[in-house]
Amino acid sequence: MNTDNQSHESQAFVQAAVARHQAPLLRYATRLFHGDADRARDVVQDTFVKLLGQPPAQIDGHLAEWLYTVCRHRTLDVLRKEGRLKLFEEGQAERLTTAEPRPGAELEHSEARAAMLQLITRLPSNQQEVIRLKFQSGFSYKEISRITSLSVSNVGFLIHTAVSRLRKEMAAQAE
Amino acid sequence: MNHSPISPDDPRLTAYALGEMESEERNQFEQLLQRDAGARAAVEEIRATVHALDTALQAEPLPAPAPGLAEAAIIPGNNPRRRDGAPVPKSTKLLRFPSLYFYISGLAAACFAVFFVYWQQNRPAHEQSKYIEVPLAQAPADKKATGVAMNLPAAPPEGVTVAADAATTRDGEKETDESRVGGQLANQKTAAPAAVARTQTLAGARVAEAPAKLKDFADADTAARRRIAEGSVGAAPKQFSTEAYARLDENPFLAVAQNPLSTFSVDVDTASYANVRRFLNQGQLPPRDAVRVEELVNYFPYHYAPPAEEARADGAPVPFAASLEAASAPWAPEHRLVRIGLKGREVSDAARPAANLVFLLDVSGSMDEPNKLPLVKQSMKLLLGKLRPDDHVAIVVYAGASGLALPSTSVREQAKIAAAIDELTPGGSTNGAMGIQLAYDIAKANFVTGGVNRVILATDGDFNVGVTGEGELTRLIEDKARSGVFLTVLGFGMGNYKDATLQQLADKGNGNYAYIDTAAEARKALVEQAGGTLVTIAKDVKIQVEFNPARVQAYRLIGYEKRLLRSEDFNNDKVDAGEIGAGHTVTALYEIVPVGAPAPDTGGPVDPLKYQKTADRASVDRTGSDELLTLKVRYKEPAGNVSSKLEFPLRDEGRAFADASADFKFAAAVASFGMILRDSPHKGSATFADVTDWARAGLDQDAGGYRAEFIGLVKTARAAMPN
Repeated sequence: MNTDNQSHESQAFVQAAVARHQAPLLRYATRLFHGDADRARDVVQDTFVKLLGQPPAQIDGHLAEWLYTVCRHRTLDVLRKEGRLKLFEEGQAERLTTAEPRPGAELEHSEARAAMLQLITRLPSNQQEVIRLKFQSGFSYKEISRITSLSVSNVGFLIHTAVSRLRKEMAAQAE
Repeated sequence: MNHSPISPDDPRLTAYALGEMESEERNQFEQLLQRDAGARAAVEEIRATVHALDTALQAEPLPAPAPGLAEAAIIPGNNPRRRDGAPVPKSTKLLRFPSLYFYISGLAAACFAVFFVYWQQNRPAHEQSKYIEVPLAQAPADKKATGVAMNLPAAPPEGVTVAADAATTRDGEKETDESRVGGQLANQKTAAPAAVARTQTLAGARVAEAPAKLKDFADADTAARRRIAEGSVGAAPKQFSTEAYARLDENPFLAVAQNPLSTFSVDVDTASYANVRRFLNQGQLPPRDAVRVEELVNYFPYHYAPPAEEARADGAPVPFAASLEAASAPWAPEHRLVRIGLKGREVSDAARPAANLVFLLDVSGSMDEPNKLPLVKQSMKLLLGKLRPDDHVAIVVYAGASGLALPSTSVREQAKIAAAIDELTPGGSTNGAMGIQLAYDIAKANFVTGGVNRVILATDGDFNVGVTGEGELTRLIEDKARSGVFLTVLGFGMGNYKDATLQQLADKGNGNYAYIDTAAEARKALVEQAGGTLVTIAKDVKIQVEFNPARVQAYRLIGYEKRLLRSEDFNNDKVDAGEIGAGHTVTALYEIVPVGAPAPDTGGPVDPLKYQKTADRASVDRTGSDELLTLKVRYKEPAGNVSSKLEFPLRDEGRAFADASADFKFAAAVASFGMILRDSPHKGSATFADVTDWARAGLDQDAGGYRAEFIGLVKTARAAMPN
């Protein structure tokens, strides 16, 4: 029957999707939940379950974007139900401020990476999310715009602001 | 071509560095870069930072997938259980037959949609206090008919109405959509398939939630139909008006014994007057609920004494002075009329702090009319002319997607800003929420501490994409207000003008609200009163009046129905209230029934209390004061969080109306005019002729010619009123 063929195709498709995207999606979701890995796991599982309901032909070509969008919506639903929708709360200080320069520290590669990661985690939530989608998950401005429901200009603005801030803070630290 | 350098804040730098630009935009930008060494260096730095970002983020450890999330557990057909033995939720089993499932749910949605519409048609039109009907559709039945004969076909009895009210719940919203669409038979056919399409996409998500299913289908259904209704209504503007005014019931007389305190938030919005003027100039009487008496009275500047220059004990200047006057009420001579006036201190253009402004402009398709976008552009350029070189302006537009039309630019480059304004073209639907987000982001990024930080929103208020629910828009703007950025709302246009939405935005967003119908009005709001519009000198300003029962039997606050506060709110700094701008005057009127006059209707008698001994009037421990009332005002500094209090007592000298000041007479005339337009039960014996007489007394102090214009309007109203 038709449904049998379809379900075999779906299975293979989903298996491939899980193998490739599960871990990065988990990382994304964990970040959205501010570190809560358990909830992140549930949401990621729900996302893949939903994937089953989609005919593969429809999603092929923008699978990653679809996964991240659905995952994000599910996360918002969960947070909303719990009344904890402070996901996109912006940091207290929106103005560009520079970090205290570390006196005389020589930064090696791994320390530099760790320092950069530190600075990234101190970005306001909305900027951080967009930065990670761009540089960790490799989405384009347009894709990020669709995933987050922000306009492309807003995405560009947030990325530019975040990159400028990181640039200044890294420069200050290197002194 | 201008060769001014690219600002380091320009997001195009990063977009270019990341290769995010389309070919044409990229070529243009590269040409600009060729001339700008600083920008080229910036692009290199951005690339270096991005490289570091990239490496750091790629090196971040991935979380280990947990047990239970194995592929086998996700894929149905092999009796799924999680590794740790817990059962996978039932939803997976049903998804084994996705196409069948969609079909069934689609059918159910279609049945429901048809049933829903049928049920809606048979529902009697229910009187919800939140919803208002524009009288256009009810012309024959309504005594206050608009003067214009509208060529309406057999209009649906409910007319086309839209609700707008702070307290709209989700259910309320649903009902709004119902009452809008109810009766529009043509929409049914298009509604049903649209509802089916929507619910198909929802189906996959709603499997296990059976009881919630109907509600979700209903939401999708009404959401889809609302979109269709708006689209079709927008196509026939001449027949239907989709203007939206929140219903307004006037304050009644209150007995002092039960209500010794009257508390409200001050307001300097003037939109209602300009809006009423717009209707009258078109030969129509305005809808009752578009007439807010306090906004009519406050449209006119009054000549109250400004506050003294000397500072308070703690060094801060007193931001305003109060002016109280009492005389007989001209429309009910046995009653007294008390006028409370507050005058904000002036701040000269040169002395005001530097401004960081973001123009947030609606350029959607609905703005494509001569009294809208072109007037917006003219208004913004007028305002630009009032700014100083140390001010900054950014322009954000919203239509469909929102966009940064001009990054924050110093007014030194006035020509560049004016050019950016000129280039705006209308088109698209209106996603106000996205625009609001971007505008506040930019305002905060360029925040000037101690300066004027303000978003200036120009729109017709017709948001129809994205966050459009009243509640969500309100919460969004409340959140944004906390950032310390103030708001000015400028309303334009007619026919789909959403007064209630805009008033809400200004209220909750620490803002003021004006309606711009002509270039002259733009000049008044943005040039003459630029200081007041831009510079807030006091925020969260509240008034509480205590009446003396020895002198006052009952009182009625004229207007401010939307601003009432509870007595407890007066001393509660967490409760938000209105703002006063530099040089602004605020006027409030109380009609007072003195002791000894015939008692007014204050509603039914109140039962004596069972658990507390009620003191009867004679034995109340009165102070024996001969004051009529005491006015108390609380306010906060614009950047402060703790309020200060001022007190002003008033003794009534029993003056007759004829001996009152010119300003007093004029204010009374305007209030009376408003009450007649609303056909208020409290208008007393006043007629338009009376209003003209009283207003003429205030004519000689008419700097801007506004009072003379008012007298002209009264004449027009008289002509438009059917007899």
